[in-house]
Amino acid sequence: MIWIDLAKLGASLIAIIGVAWLAGRMGLGGDLRIRDADHAKVLANEAIYGFEATEVALDRAGVGALLKDAQGNQMLLRRHGAAWVGRLLDPAMETRLDQGFLTISTGEPGAEKVTLNLGEAAQIWAAGMRRLVRA
Amino acid sequence: MPELPNPVDYAVPAFILLILVEMVWARRNAPEKYEPKDTLSSLSFGLGNSVVGLFAGGAIFASMLWVYQFRLATIPWTWWAWIACFVLDDLAYYWFHRTAHRVRWFWASHVNHHSSQHYNLSTALRQTWTGWLALSFIFRLPLMLVGFHPLMVAFCGGLNLIYQFWFHTEAIKRFPRWFEAVMNTPSHHRVHHATNPRYLDSNYAGVFIIWDRMFGSFVAEVDDEPIRYGIVKQLGTFNLLYSVFHEWIGIAKDVWNAPWKHKLSYMIREPGWSHDGSRDTSDTIKARWREREGLPVE
Repeated sequence: MIWIDLAKLGASLIAIIGVAWLAGRMGLGGDLRIRDADHAKVLANEAIYGFEATEVALDRAGVGALLKDAQGNQMLLRRHGAAWVGRLLDPAMETRLDQGFLTISTGEPGAEKVTLNLGEAAQIWAAGMRRLVRA
Repeated sequence: MPELPNPVDYAVPAFILLILVEMVWARRNAPEKYEPKDTLSSLSFGLGNSVVGLFAGGAIFASMLWVYQFRLATIPWTWWAWIACFVLDDLAYYWFHRTAHRVRWFWASHVNHHSSQHYNLSTALRQTWTGWLALSFIFRLPLMLVGFHPLMVAFCGGLNLIYQFWFHTEAIKRFPRWFEAVMNTPSHHRVHHATNPRYLDSNYAGVFIIWDRMFGSFVAEVDDEPIRYGIVKQLGTFNLLYSVFHEWIGIAKDVWNAPWKHKLSYMIREPGWSHDGSRDTSDTIKARWREREGLPVE
């Protein structure tokens, strides 16, 4: 009986890997990008309901953004597969500024560091995040 | 007493085939409906659920047999008993499911099914590994006390699970009104998986949507508002182990850090509840939405 169960599990594992591989080969998932600041605001409000962004810094490739609301809350919006994830920034998050690139680590298990190409805006937002840390 | 197989075992090949068909549909119509890493994650959830079932299933079934000793009556293996068992098991599922969304202890297990930001047939197989830990099976025990044999209940539970597979899709819009009125459908269940404030905590049905209509939790799908799927605070990772255990980890941290008088509440209150009110629950999000939309307070 145990051999039948093991055979079923083995077949299931092969099927799972095969389906996921096929999904990749078929080009499923797409290549999502943030079109512009207004699009980023909509996505931010969808990520955290009620977040009304007043300022936006958009990654040049459109794969993420930083947003600020009227109360001074700041949000990191980043691509996650074929979807978007938003996180409010807090003092525990690590940031690193390298010219026009701002790297943010939310410190969440399993979440990769995000590097945004913000150009000249990177320094301004990095300073804003330092103020957030001091607040 | 007949010998009964696990009907889910026989359905698995059809599950895989239908996922492939839906992937072809997605490629032609909306490639973003599938994400390979998400699909791998969801299917791994399903496999892990089966593995856990090999170990925990025996203990759960033994518990059901033990409770069956105390039955009020002995219901025979007749056709009407099968129908009654299937319907009552679905009612038990409704209350399990509703509780799983309103009590964090059960949500910690059930959240696994909702943590994908996609809604497709692979999401249906995104099943928990920790249902045994949450003791989710206790919602079925009343059926044994009434007198249904545990084997009959387990078989009906398997059929219920199979029915719930096919409606995890965006490929089907709506069915005729009479069908939508009685049965759970892709439209009804899309609402259940939505994070849009208007849809939170609704449509808990397994097979028959009538339970939601009867108990006041039914919300119809609105055509002019795109649905966003997942959980209020999206996971943001495809890390399988973290995805499986993240809410249990959250409970442990909260219970550890909370003042003594609030520790239990972090386990039994609704997901998102905090003793200082610093977090959002589905109720606070819905209230904010109603206020912004100018709707009366519930």
